[in-house]
Amino acid sequence: MLEFADVSKSYPGGFVALDRVSFKLEKGEMAFLTGHSGAGKSTLLKLISLIERPSVGKVLINDVDLSRIRRPHIPYVRRDIGIIFQNHRLLMNHTVFDNVALPLVIEGFSGKDMVKRVHAALDKVGLLDKVRCLPHTLSGGEQQRVGIARAVVNKPPLLLADEPTGNLDPDLSKEIMRVFEAFNQVGVSVLVATHDLGLVARMKYRTLTLKQGKMINDGLLQYQEDPL
Amino acid sequence: MSILFSGRVSSGAAEHKISLGRRFVMFWVNHLRQAVASLGELWRTPSASILTIGVLGVSLTLPATLHLLVKNVQQVSDSFTQAAEISLFIKDGSSDTQISSLQKILQADSAVARVTHISKQQALDEFAAVSGFGAALNYLTDNPLPDVLLVLPKNTNADSARQLLQRLSKERIVEFGKLDIDWLTRLDAIVSLLRQAVLVIAILLLGAVLLIIGNTIRLSIMNKKDEIEVMKLVGATDAFIQRPFLYGGIWYGVFGGLLAFLIVEAMLWWLQGAIVSVTSLYDSEFSLMALSLAEFAGLMLLAMALGLSGSYLSVRRHISAIEPTGP
Repeated sequence: MLEFADVSKSYPGGFVALDRVSFKLEKGEMAFLTGHSGAGKSTLLKLISLIERPSVGKVLINDVDLSRIRRPHIPYVRRDIGIIFQNHRLLMNHTVFDNVALPLVIEGFSGKDMVKRVHAALDKVGLLDKVRCLPHTLSGGEQQRVGIARAVVNKPPLLLADEPTGNLDPDLSKEIMRVFEAFNQVGVSVLVATHDLGLVARMKYRTLTLKQGKMINDGLLQYQEDPL
Repeated sequence: MSILFSGRVSSGAAEHKISLGRRFVMFWVNHLRQAVASLGELWRTPSASILTIGVLGVSLTLPATLHLLVKNVQQVSDSFTQAAEISLFIKDGSSDTQISSLQKILQADSAVARVTHISKQQALDEFAAVSGFGAALNYLTDNPLPDVLLVLPKNTNADSARQLLQRLSKERIVEFGKLDIDWLTRLDAIVSLLRQAVLVIAILLLGAVLLIIGNTIRLSIMNKKDEIEVMKLVGATDAFIQRPFLYGGIWYGVFGGLLAFLIVEAMLWWLQGAIVSVTSLYDSEFSLMALSLAEFAGLMLLAMALGLSGSYLSVRRHISAIEPTGP
């Protein structure tokens, strides 16, 4: 499903954000990506979502080399990837419905079909009753869940999350993770970048750990951090 | 269309195998919806929109007014071409029969519309009446004025009238012919100069309109930078993001054009009274011509085209420049 083959990324000025990173995420697999801030998590996600291009190496999704994707085709690639942002990046002057419907509108859905899908996505994250609300009337956790609903509304085969629990308390974080698990169970590949090591350790999923751009761990996280 | 996952159906239309005809209808319905949506966008920022529309309206008013000015001046100069009369002064000592036979010959000429004979005596009477020298003229022993044949050419344009003049001047009893056409060519030259000046000014002002719309759209793109980044991240193509801005440009054009039209109409209404009092002094039947329906349509089309191209220039540069910086 997702494959990194000896990927390095250096920025102008010589800063090496990723150093020969290789890993494979299978179809229907769920994994965490951890590391301190500046370890290269964001860069890795940017390479997948084609915000950045690798300096060396190849990123493949479903055996398609992303370096072959030309600029005009980038939007179509992004439609196959659900992205969840740390600061959820909702459109604050649009309703929850409009926010979640955005990817569908972009793909040309309309009418009943669109409404059905939006309601299904909001139902999965438990926010069906907030359809007509504006995002700023919701709590932080609810806003994050709207962001998740938006990412999954067009049923992408791959889901990326960048610090989805960054600003949330432990209970809410766990709840968000449960939502990801639920999607994983219906066959979606999920990659969650987080520095919440306690949560990662409790969840017992494959964990990729980056340190200064190098992949230092691939597998279950071994140590158990103190609960918060 | 999915590049990465062949077989993944991701388009709403493709999934349901909607017929071509219905898809065609949906295409226009979608465009209409987006047009209305971007109208709503203008409505939400009334002060900025009104300012832009005001500037556009005034900028479009000037070329429209100048166009009307040229059109009306041309109407005046057209009515003067009727005055391109040739005066043939007859040699002193020609007999009345010679003159009347020349008059008959000329009347039969295919290039001549009308010939009028003003005899010496008529001319003297008229001169005495008009000049106010009536008493002084009585002291003249004989009439110094010649007989005159006034010839109105069928074709009143300057060149053919001049040719006719040359031909008629060769008649045996004609002393010389005079065509008062110089002032007419001068007027024509002035009108064409005026028209070219209007063209230059119009081009400059339309350029200004283009820049104003471009800048307004640029500002609204900048205001929506975050929104555009999010849209790009969830897979919107540049074309999709551009569309509302392009419609916004068209709406600016529509409202700017309407405003210009209203200003021009108000100006005509205002000037009508003054012009009537001037033209009545000159005994003229001149009436101010307003914009015709075709000209109104032209103004609106021009304004919309400027709105569209102004926003396109701005959108093309700025939307592709906004790239999401991070998930």
